[in-house]
Formats: sequence, structure tokens, C-alpha cells
Amino acid sequence: MPSGPYLPTSAAYLKESSLLLQAYPNSTRITTKYTFPKSSPSTSTKKSKSESTPSAQPLTPAAPIATLVLKTYNPESGICLKYRTNKAAEVGRLITALGLLAGGADMASLDGPVAAAGGDVEMTGTGEEVAATSTAPTAAGAGANTGAGVGKGKGKGKKKGKK
Amino acid sequence: MPAPLGHEEFFTSLTTLLTNTSQKTRGSVYLTQTPLLNSQSPDTADKQTLPSILIRASDGNTNAPNPKTHPEIKDKKTKKETKAKVSTVVQPGELEAFYARYAEVCKAGMTGLKKRDRKLKKAKAKGGAGKVVKA
Repeated sequence: MPSGPYLPTSAAYLKESSLLLQAYPNSTRITTKYTFPKSSPSTSTKKSKSESTPSAQPLTPAAPIATLVLKTYNPESGICLKYRTNKAAEVGRLITALGLLAGGADMASLDGPVAAAGGDVEMTGTGEEVAATSTAPTAAGAGANTGAGVGKGKGKGKKKGKK
Repeated sequence: MPAPLGHEEFFTSLTTLLTNTSQKTRGSVYLTQTPLLNSQSPDTADKQTLPSILIRASDGNTNAPNPKTHPEIKDKKTKKETKAKVSTVVQPGELEAFYARYAEVCKAGMTGLKKRDRKLKKAKAKGGAGKVVKA
């Protein structure tokens, strides 16, 4: 499997993924991997914050923290987009977003003026498509707002991303 | 590939899969979603009718013996040692309802991820610098 880039934010991942899905609606697949690190210590020391833990208590590691990796892959173009998180708080929002992607929602229109412009171009295409998807971005927008409101850090990240 | 399950059965299996993995705190669960291409006449443009979505869930246990090549093993060994693999098909109209439950099941099952309270602790430790920047 190709190892694509990890995108910094879930918003970026969803946006790029929706573009990829629009370009190749029939051959793009999204894989969600929920995985625990292998027992080798190298994996746990990978993250700076856990570096101190193994040295202090080598024999009794705290419950390993699982990671969730979302991957959008298109075999035709060979494009692979990934997003990695280990926050339980993000799961619900991410899965819901994947549902919107599956429904062909235009996630690019969710944030930022640039993205919105892209959405407008899209809308001039087919009237029917707009009607079908118009509800989805609204719902997605609401979801994104809620997420940003709840996860404070997340909101900050988003703002930075926009600028 | 076994036949797709109904949504209820799929969610039940997925819950088991996630719970088992979380309890063992090792291994992985793979969830994939891919458009199911209908072999209808090409006249019906794909854009107008959204394809159904095929959802697969697996534990990715490639070490488990393939039941096709080892038919006897399947009976002898417990289910845990074989590769768990389930799938279901979601019609375009069902997407919203399905994903609402899908998200719930995943949230409930993926207990190995970092909880919010832990995150807050860390945020506090980090927060000093962050807040200064923010202010």
C-alpha cells in the first residue's frame, strides 16, 4: 500500500478527500483503521510525551493508546490521503463526516472562502446535484461548528489552518 | 467474500470486533467504505443516482489460516483465530441514518483512544505556552 502524506487537520483531510472523491467517485475508497501500537517500545517512544513513561516504568506500561487512521485512496491516480488521530472525542465527528463523503457531500465548501468559491463553481454544473447535496453541507457545517465549540484545541487549529 | 449482512447484524459484529480489540489492547480493526458499482445500463448517469456504499469491517488478521485452503481448521479452532470479516451495503437513502449509528458504534467501541480528561490534563501542561500566545 502506498503511504501518502498525513494531513495536519481533519478538516484538511476531509476537504482533500472530497475533492478526490469528486474526481474519482467510483474508484476511491476510504479506510478507517483503528489500531493499537505493537508491543515494541519504539512505537510508544515515537511520541515525545510518552518518552518519559517507558524509562520510569518499563514493565508496567499504561494501557496502550490506540490510533485511528483515516485513509482515502484512489488506485487509478495513486493518490492517498491520510489523517491520524488518537482522540476519542474526534471519532463521532469523523465517522459522520465519512458518511457525508460517502453521500457525495462537498466538504470543500465547509470552511474558508476559497473553498466556498470552489463550491460555487461546482453548483453551476448540475441543478439536481445541488438539490441532492444541499442539505448535507448544512448538516456538516453544523457538525463542524459543534466540534470546534467542544474541542477547544481543535478550533484553534482550524483557525490557524485557515490563515 | 461472504454475503453482506443486514445493518443490525453488521453493527452487532462490528461492536464485538471493536470491543474485543479494545479489550486485548492489541491488533487492529479495518473499516472500509467504497462505492458499490451497480452493473446497470451505462445510460443512467452515475452522477444522478448515487451508488450504494459497501461497508467492510475486518480485523485484518492475515495470519489466520485461510478457510479455503484449510477447511478443517475452521471447525477446530475458535473464531478468534480466524479472520473476522463482515460487510454490509448501504443504500444512498439510508446513508444518514446508517452513519449516525455507525458513528455511535465506533465511539462506543473505540475505547482505546485517548479520553477527553487525559487530553485536558495534557492541555493544561501545554496550555501555559498556548494561552500566552493566544492572549
